[in-house]
Amino acid sequence: MTQRKRLSNTQISSQSRRRSEVAVAEEEDGDLTFTQPSTSQVQRGLERLTSAQVDQKTAEVVQYFLVKDQKKIPVRRADLVKHVLKDYRNVYPEIMKRVTQSLDQVFGLKLVEIDTKNHIYILINKLEPAEGAPLDNSPTNPKMGLLFVILSVIFMKRGAVKENVIWHTLKKLRVDPGEKHEEFGDVKKLITDEFVRQRYLEYVRIPHTDPIEHEFRWGQRADLEVSKAKILEFMGELHNQEPQSWTQQYRDAHSTPNSTQASTSSQR
Amino acid sequence: MKRARSSEADEETPRQNGSSGRRRGVQQHRGNEDDEGPGLGAANLQDDDIDPSLRREIRSKYRDLINSVQQNREDMLSPSNNKLTEVLEEANKLFQDVREAREAALDAQLLVVATDLGKEKASQLFSEGAAFDPTAFAEHLLSFMGLNRLEDEEEELQNGAVDGYLPQDAWHRVAKRAESCFKTAPAFHYMMGSFHAEPPPPKQRIERQRKVPGKEAKRMMPTQLKKMEESHQEATEKEVERILGFLKGYHQDDPSTPISYYEFVIDPNSFSRTIENMFHTSFLIRVIINGVAYFCVLAPVEEGEVEAGGSASRKQCITSISLKTWKELIDAFDISDTLIQPLNTQNE
Repeated sequence: MTQRKRLSNTQISSQSRRRSEVAVAEEEDGDLTFTQPSTSQVQRGLERLTSAQVDQKTAEVVQYFLVKDQKKIPVRRADLVKHVLKDYRNVYPEIMKRVTQSLDQVFGLKLVEIDTKNHIYILINKLEPAEGAPLDNSPTNPKMGLLFVILSVIFMKRGAVKENVIWHTLKKLRVDPGEKHEEFGDVKKLITDEFVRQRYLEYVRIPHTDPIEHEFRWGQRADLEVSKAKILEFMGELHNQEPQSWTQQYRDAHSTPNSTQASTSSQR
Repeated sequence: MKRARSSEADEETPRQNGSSGRRRGVQQHRGNEDDEGPGLGAANLQDDDIDPSLRREIRSKYRDLINSVQQNREDMLSPSNNKLTEVLEEANKLFQDVREAREAALDAQLLVVATDLGKEKASQLFSEGAAFDPTAFAEHLLSFMGLNRLEDEEEELQNGAVDGYLPQDAWHRVAKRAESCFKTAPAFHYMMGSFHAEPPPPKQRIERQRKVPGKEAKRMMPTQLKKMEESHQEATEKEVERILGFLKGYHQDDPSTPISYYEFVIDPNSFSRTIENMFHTSFLIRVIINGVAYFCVLAPVEEGEVEAGGSASRKQCITSISLKTWKELIDAFDISDTLIQPLNTQNE
């Protein structure tokens, strides 16, 4: 009996050793593959650190997210681990849990993992936009106006439009992708590159088209940040119509509440 | 032969959906030709049937129609106009003159493009709820942005846009209205700037102050210095040349006798001028002019003899003279007058 127990014990310990060895080997490969440490590993890791150290590391990660969010470019977990977490990677889940809490309670921001496969995060506002004038006197960014127009057209066209529709509409608004715009500069680059990298838009190739055509869709960030109902409201104001007159779009706007489709990191 | 062809066309008609009408038109046309002269065969072809420029014109017109459908697709989609119908009518007219396969192929291409558009227009009809027209949307948005339409509203630009100019803050207005639809995280920036902003400004100020007087002083300096230096250099060179002139002159007067150094440089009337003469003459000691070398004994020496081992060996010495020595030399050499005439200049 005892012999079997002893054998089973050694089996378990050798298994866990092999697992941690594998994890270490993968980490040494460069952060291409970062395996999530197991709960027991996290526990052991935390035991070796003081609470001050953990707090410090949490604060660093929070600051990293806030600064990266200035440009609205999503944060990759690999970068986070490489540049900030470093030796603390074995307590990654605990740090992330605290970071999410901090962003939520201190800053009113939601940390969302928009890509669960490649582990990419963005920050969005937890709070609904304030009624009336915004409290901060920050100047409005005209790029948001342009983005808003594009998102509106895509939404009114039920989710996907051929790129020509967008270019045509923008031309009517004196924005020509072929010319340098006074306000926006290289318009084509702004729309097909910057907005796409920020995950506001998706610019996908339509297969079997010659010459190559693309179509525009809402990006993951737009899905989370933008309210379809409010867009429809604005449409109604502009056209002097009731939002309900666009029955299909009305249904689209009110059937799926703007909860995230991607998992939030707190669910980890 | 023609009749056979037309009967073929007849058989093909049922296959062509929607174009049977047009085919019949062609048949009729050919029928007319046949009436004119049976048995004339190929020679009966009208001239414009094979006229290459007309063929080209037809093909070019087809291409224009295809382009216009593709470029103005959104305009044509709008239920507010009949542009698609107009295009089809135009194409019908063109088809009357189609003779060759190339033209027919273009006609077919146009049909493909037009039917695709027609399909989209049809789907608009079937969707419930109000239609959404991006063009109308753009028009409304322009008004929202505060487009200042020009008084003559009948003016329209090529692409059908209404003329007028947008105010500077047009896109800001849209952005402002859009803000309320977004739940964007506010971008993180330090509120009042960095706390370390204080030290740098004073440093810059000091540097600037220092730079200013420096520049001015420097600016003044060069002009003054230049003058002095110039005068110095000039004076020295001129003096040396002058003395050389004297030396040559005296040598020419009496080529066989070398000139004694002390007799040459000493000015019995002025000790200071004697020193100056020694200074200037020292430049000539090693000067080789025209292959002739002058040395301490102040007699020209053939260049060849200046080589090592030659009778005239190169020597260096430092001559010093004091007031007492000067007086003694004057007595010793019995120098009564200076050989080097002084300049009546400011060198005093």
